[in-house]
Amino acid sequence: MDWLDRELGQALNRKNPSPDFAERVRWSLHVQKHQPAHGLQWWLATAAAFVSVAGAGGIGYRQHQGEVARQQVMQAFRIAGASLNHIQTQVREVRR
Amino acid sequence: MTRLCTVACLAPLAAILWAQQFKFNLDRLAAKASNNVDVSVSGSTLKFAARFLDNSDPDEAKVKKLIGGLDGIYVKSFEFKTEHAWTEADLESIRTQLHTPEWERMLGYKSSEDGETDEIYVRTENKKISGVAIIACEAKSVTVVNIAGVIDLDSLAELGGHFGVPKLEKTPGHKAP
Repeated sequence: MDWLDRELGQALNRKNPSPDFAERVRWSLHVQKHQPAHGLQWWLATAAAFVSVAGAGGIGYRQHQGEVARQQVMQAFRIAGASLNHIQTQVREVRR
Repeated sequence: MTRLCTVACLAPLAAILWAQQFKFNLDRLAAKASNNVDVSVSGSTLKFAARFLDNSDPDEAKVKKLIGGLDGIYVKSFEFKTEHAWTEADLESIRTQLHTPEWERMLGYKSSEDGETDEIYVRTENKKISGVAIIACEAKSVTVVNIAGVIDLDSLAELGGHFGVPKLEKTPGHKAP
């Protein structure tokens, strides 16, 4: 069994890391931080925010258009009503 | 050939649409006026506006009911700096546009004192009133209203009591001159 003891002894023998080990660890961490998956998430979040803002803006604009249309309709009926009122008054005076 | 067929098919449709959305040409009056009010509300805008009318407001609730059968409402009002800036010829140019079999004068009023002239015309299709035109001329103003769409006089009379308008009574009609 001497060969086995020797093999194990060699395998478990303490070894110092290579000089660039720390640099390689740091680089690995840096790459993980800037994974493409994080970038995609950021874009998705930005797109979602954009869609939300655009949607809210669209609703607001539609509300504004509706308000303008409402005011136009009311103005048209007010003028038409006032004209009818005036004509009716004149005709009534003539009939008296 | 295909284009000719398309034009031939679309022409009657365009004529129908024109008849429904008929607007007066009032350029002559507009040129003289110092102030113009032009409110043109098409059928689609009326339907859109109806969603924004407040039912809790009596006037708006009434208008909401009225616009249900309308295809459009076109109002033009002109104010002049001087009295009688408008002439009989201006009025005649409006009347000429109503010289069609569909339009009939329902009411006419003319004051010999101040020359004030008011006229109401109704447009009938298949014995149903499909439009009303109002011409109201005072010394310093002319207002022309064209209400297009399937309406009956009762609906129009619903304006009575709103905006201070008394009920419009039906009077025997006279053919437009």
